[in-house]
Amino acid sequence: MNLLGFLKESTFGSIKSVYKLALIIIPLMIIMEILKDLKILDKGAKFLSPVSKFYNISKEATFPLIVGLVFGLAYGAGVIIESAKESNLNKKDLYVLIIFLISCHSVFEDTLIFVSVGANGILLLSIRITIAVVVSFFASKVIDKIDFNNKNL
Amino acid sequence: MYNKYINVRKGDCMYKESISRGLRKGISTTWELTKVIVPVYFFVTFLKYTPILNWISDFFTPVMKIFGLPGEASLPLVLGNMLNLYAGIGAIAGLNLKAKQITIIAFMLSFSHSLFMETAVVKKTGMNVFIVLACRFSLAIISGIVLNLVL
Repeated sequence: MNLLGFLKESTFGSIKSVYKLALIIIPLMIIMEILKDLKILDKGAKFLSPVSKFYNISKEATFPLIVGLVFGLAYGAGVIIESAKESNLNKKDLYVLIIFLISCHSVFEDTLIFVSVGANGILLLSIRITIAVVVSFFASKVIDKIDFNNKNL
Repeated sequence: MYNKYINVRKGDCMYKESISRGLRKGISTTWELTKVIVPVYFFVTFLKYTPILNWISDFFTPVMKIFGLPGEASLPLVLGNMLNLYAGIGAIAGLNLKAKQITIIAFMLSFSHSLFMETAVVKKTGMNVFIVLACRFSLAIISGIVLNLVL
């Protein structure tokens, strides 16, 4: 095994991914704090309230959803971790959010990667979003039924 | 007039406060994710340097039939799932596949990819890893089977 090549690739590669992460997460958090203080985030949550009502989740859960959809799972998870610290999310929010996001995330980047090898991007994206909506809706119904938030799962 | 001045100063302060709070949160979130991403990156790159991925790919070769794919198509699926989408796509380019087969692989990979990295990050939120993997695998497998039948 080429040990030097491995060390070089993993060191530089991981530095590059952390740098890319910081480049998106830090401005994102700053913008979110400003929007929060200007009360724009609340208005945004109101605008997205059909989404939170559809899944019967907290209003705060719609932001990680949008971030994950646009930027990717890691970024959505970053916002989720931060919101969870401020305890704005309950267990149901977390499960519905993650189940949605694992089925469908970073819609721009992922779709373009597949288009580059000749897959039908519009078909791929529309089916992916539909599946994510259906699966997470199903999950939210199941969670409601088993009264998830009172359980220590 | 004084009132106006005070308001402006107050607004200015709030703005600065939000920025510094956002900066702190951004850095702490980046750090939380760094602790997950770096070790997984080393592990995944290590895998890439060993023949393990080829073995796994060989192991899944016979299963490819249920998705209407040739045996060698297990390579992009294994690379995409274990490493990342770019590795999977790179492997597609190296194979001689029909448009339908590329679409099937694209769908399967879009539901299930970069499993080590993404699962590690998701685990950090407190989500049950078993549910995450079960959900992704079943979506990938079902979409592969169904697309092979309908396309």
